[in-house]
Amino acid sequence: MDAPTRAQTEAGIPAQGARQRRPDAIRPDDLRAEGEPWTWLLGGALALGIVMVLGLLLLVAWNGATTFWPRPIEVVTLTDGSRIAGEPVRSQAFRPGPQIIAELPPGIRARIAADGGIADRTLYRTGNYDLYGDDFRWVPDFQRSAAERPGDMVLIERLEWGVFVGRIVGFTHDGERTTTGDPRNPALEAAYRAARARWAEIRRIERGEIGTVNHHLEAERLRLRRVLLGDHPPAEREAAERRFAAEEPRLTAAYQRLAAAAQRLRAENARDTIILQEIGGREVTLPLSAVVRLVRANDMTLTEKIGVYLSRWWEFLSEEPREANTEGGILPAIFGTAAMTLLLVIAVAPFGVVTALYLREYARQGRITAFVRISVNNLAGVPSIVYGVFGLGFFAYIVGASIDRLFFPEKLPSPTFGTGGLLWASLTLALLTVPVVIVATEEALAAVPRSMREGSLACGASKWQTIRNIVLPRAMPGIMTGLILAMARGAGEVAPLMLVGVVKLAPELPIDGFFPFVHLERSFMHLGFHIYDVGFQSRNSEAGKPMVFVTTLLLLALIFLMNIGAILVRNRLKRRFQGSQF
Amino acid sequence: MSATTIIERPAEGATVYHPKTSEAAPAVSVRGFSLWYGAKQALFDNTIDIQSGMVTALIGPSGCGKSTLLRSLNRMNDLIDGIRMTGSISLMGDDIYAPAADVIALRKRMGMVFQKPNPFPMSIFENVAYPLRVDGVRDRRIVQETVERSLRGAALWEEAKDRLNESALGLSGGQQQRLCIARAIAGDPEVLLMDEPCSALDPIATAKIEELIDNLRGQYTIIIVTHSMSQAGRVSDNTAFMYLGRIIEYGETSTVFTQPRVQRTQEYVTGRFG
Repeated sequence: MDAPTRAQTEAGIPAQGARQRRPDAIRPDDLRAEGEPWTWLLGGALALGIVMVLGLLLLVAWNGATTFWPRPIEVVTLTDGSRIAGEPVRSQAFRPGPQIIAELPPGIRARIAADGGIADRTLYRTGNYDLYGDDFRWVPDFQRSAAERPGDMVLIERLEWGVFVGRIVGFTHDGERTTTGDPRNPALEAAYRAARARWAEIRRIERGEIGTVNHHLEAERLRLRRVLLGDHPPAEREAAERRFAAEEPRLTAAYQRLAAAAQRLRAENARDTIILQEIGGREVTLPLSAVVRLVRANDMTLTEKIGVYLSRWWEFLSEEPREANTEGGILPAIFGTAAMTLLLVIAVAPFGVVTALYLREYARQGRITAFVRISVNNLAGVPSIVYGVFGLGFFAYIVGASIDRLFFPEKLPSPTFGTGGLLWASLTLALLTVPVVIVATEEALAAVPRSMREGSLACGASKWQTIRNIVLPRAMPGIMTGLILAMARGAGEVAPLMLVGVVKLAPELPIDGFFPFVHLERSFMHLGFHIYDVGFQSRNSEAGKPMVFVTTLLLLALIFLMNIGAILVRNRLKRRFQGSQF
Repeated sequence: MSATTIIERPAEGATVYHPKTSEAAPAVSVRGFSLWYGAKQALFDNTIDIQSGMVTALIGPSGCGKSTLLRSLNRMNDLIDGIRMTGSISLMGDDIYAPAADVIALRKRMGMVFQKPNPFPMSIFENVAYPLRVDGVRDRRIVQETVERSLRGAALWEEAKDRLNESALGLSGGQQQRLCIARAIAGDPEVLLMDEPCSALDPIATAKIEELIDNLRGQYTIIIVTHSMSQAGRVSDNTAFMYLGRIIEYGETSTVFTQPRVQRTQEYVTGRFG
C-alpha cells in the first residue's frame, strides 16, 4: 500500500469508525478502496497493446531493412562428397523422418536419438533454378562435413531464372573468348557496362519510341473505326479511309525502322556473354546484358557492401517487377497505391463533407435524419468485400459499360471503363470510407461554438455565409481528422480492390505522356495486393518472403508519410484557431 | 413627479408605465409580444416602446426573459427549434416578423454584442470588416475607412492600429468585447443590442465599456440587458424591469430606481431579492 493512504489512516480519518460499524465495508488501506487493481489492469492492457504494436513494427522494419544486405556464400561439402554453394538463410531444429534415420551411420543415429530425435538443419539459398529446379535447399547438420567461403564465389542477379551462384570462368567480347576467374577483370567490367548500356537503349526504344508509334497506330485505327461505326456521309468515310491508308504505312515503316535498330543492338549483345560455372561443375553461358548485378559475396569491403545494399534499394523503388514479382522493383505498386489513395481523398472529401453539412446544418432534426445517421453508421460496418462486389457490379458493369457505349464504341468489345480500373477502385474505397468522414465532420460541425454562429448571423451574414466563413474553417481540423482516418483505412484495404481493378502486374503507370495523360480506366498495382501476391501466390514462397517484409515496410512507410502530411496540414489549421476556446 | 404610492399587486399582466420625459420617437415598438419555447411560455404579452437615440436597460432576475426579449428584436431566436410567438415587433415602423420581412436585412440594421466576447478566429481588421464582407463590399478604401471609424468608435483604435493584421484572439477580454462592439457598429446599424456585455469582464474593462456606451449614446439606439443594477443606473436613460416573462415597470431610469410604483421593482432595485 502506498504512503499517503497509510498517513491518512494514521491521521485518524473517520473511516476507522465506519469500519467498526460496518464489518463488510472496504477498509481504507484496502487496494480496492482506490480502485487500484483496475488501474493496474488498464495500465497493463495499454502496455501489452504498445508492446504488440512495437513488436510488429520492429519485426517488419528489421526484416525489411536487412533483406537487401549482401550475405556471404558458403560452400558446403556434404558427407557423400558432393558440394553445394549458397547463402545461409536460417537454421532450425527438425525431426528427421524414420527413413532418413535408418540410412544414417550408427554414430549419428545414436546422437540424434540422444537429442530426442531432433537434429539441426540450415536453409541455403542456392539459386540456379534453371539447373537445380529449386532456389533453396535444406542441409541437415549431420550431412555437413566441411564449410568454407571461397573469395571467388559470386552471386549474379539475372533478368531470368533468379540468381546464379557459382564462379566466373570467362567471358566473350565480340565473339572472342577470354578466360578469367576474376570478377574485377577490367575488360570484363567494360564489356559488362557496354552491354548494360545497350540493354537500356533497347528498352528505351521498345518502351518509349515503339510504344509511341504503336499508340499512334492504334489511335488511327480507332479513329477510322469510329467513323465507320457512326452514320457519317460517304464522303467523310472515304476521307477517313484515305487518311488511314496514308498514315498506316508511314507508322509501320517507323516501327520497322525502330525494330531493326533494336534488333541490331540485340545482335551485338548476343556476342557478349559471360561463362559461369556452378559448384557442381556445370557451365552456363549468359548474355552479359542479362546480368543485373554481380555481387562478389565473399570478397567485399564494407563500402562495397553498402553500395550493393543501396543499389538494391534503388532498383526496388524505381524499377518494375520481374520474375513473377519476386524480383525487381515495385514502382508501379507504390505509384498505384499513392494515386488511388489521393483519388480516394479527392472523391470522399467533398461527398462526405457536403452530406454532413446538410445533415447537421440544414436538415430538420427528426426521425428521418436519425434514420439516415443510423444507416450511415451501419455502412461503416459492412464487410469491405461487399463494397468490392458492389463496385464491380455498379461502377464497372453498369456505369462503366454505359460510358463505353457512349464514348468509346470503337474500342468495343474490349472494355475501356467497363472493367475494373483506378477510378472505380478509388470510388469503391470512397464509398467504403465515406461514413468515417460524415461522422467526423458532423462532430466537428457540432463542436463549433454557438457564439461564433450567432456573432456572424448578428452581423447580417446569411446562413451559407456563416457556414462558409465561420463554421467550416473552424471545423476544418476535425474534418481533416476524418479524412486522415479515411485515408488510412482506404490505403490499407485490399479485398475490394481485387475485384475492381488491382492486378498482379501492370507496368503501364496510370499517368504517362499520351493524351489525356491521366488514365483512370487503367488497372493498377497496389502494395497491399502485392504483398498477398508475392507471399502467397508466387511459385516460390521462400524467395518471396523477404519481398513480403520489404513491401510491408514500404506500405507502412507510405501510409505513415501520407498521414504525417495530412496531420501537418491539420496542425497548421489548428494553430490558427488557438486561444479561441473560451 | 411626486412620490407615488407603491402598488402592491398590479393587475395580472399589466405593466406600469411612467410618463416619458423625453420627446424621442420610438425606434423599436413591441406590441403584445408573447413567446413560447415548445410548451413553456417565456414572454407574456409585453408592450414597450424603445426611444430612439437613448440607452434603454432591461433588468430583472435570472430567467425573467430579458435576454429572450432582446434576442427577439433581431430574430436571433429563429435559430431555436420549436419556438412560437404572438404579437408584433416593429423597427422604425417595419414589422420585423412580417412574412415578407428580410431577416438578413433586419439584422444588418441591428448590431448585437453578446455576453461573452466572440471575435472570429481572423485578424482584427477582418473581424471589423466582416459585416462589409458579407455585404459584398469590395472597395478597399471604403473597407479601410469603415474599419478605422468603427475601431475609433469602439475606442480600440489607439490600441489596435499597429496590430490590425494580428489574430483577434490575442486581444484581452475587454479589448475583444470592444472589438465586438466595433464589429457591431461597422455595419452602420440603427439599433445596438447588448446582451450583458460586461458580465465576463473585470471592473476596469467594464468601466471602459460603460464609458463607450456613454459615448455612443445619441448615435445609436442602445438596448442593454444587464444584471448589474449599478450599471443600469450609470449608463441607461430608461429602464424596464422584467419579472417572470413580463415587463413590470418601465420608465426613466432615475424614476424606476428611486420611485418605483411596484413592490417587486422596489425590492429588486434595493437588492432585497434577485
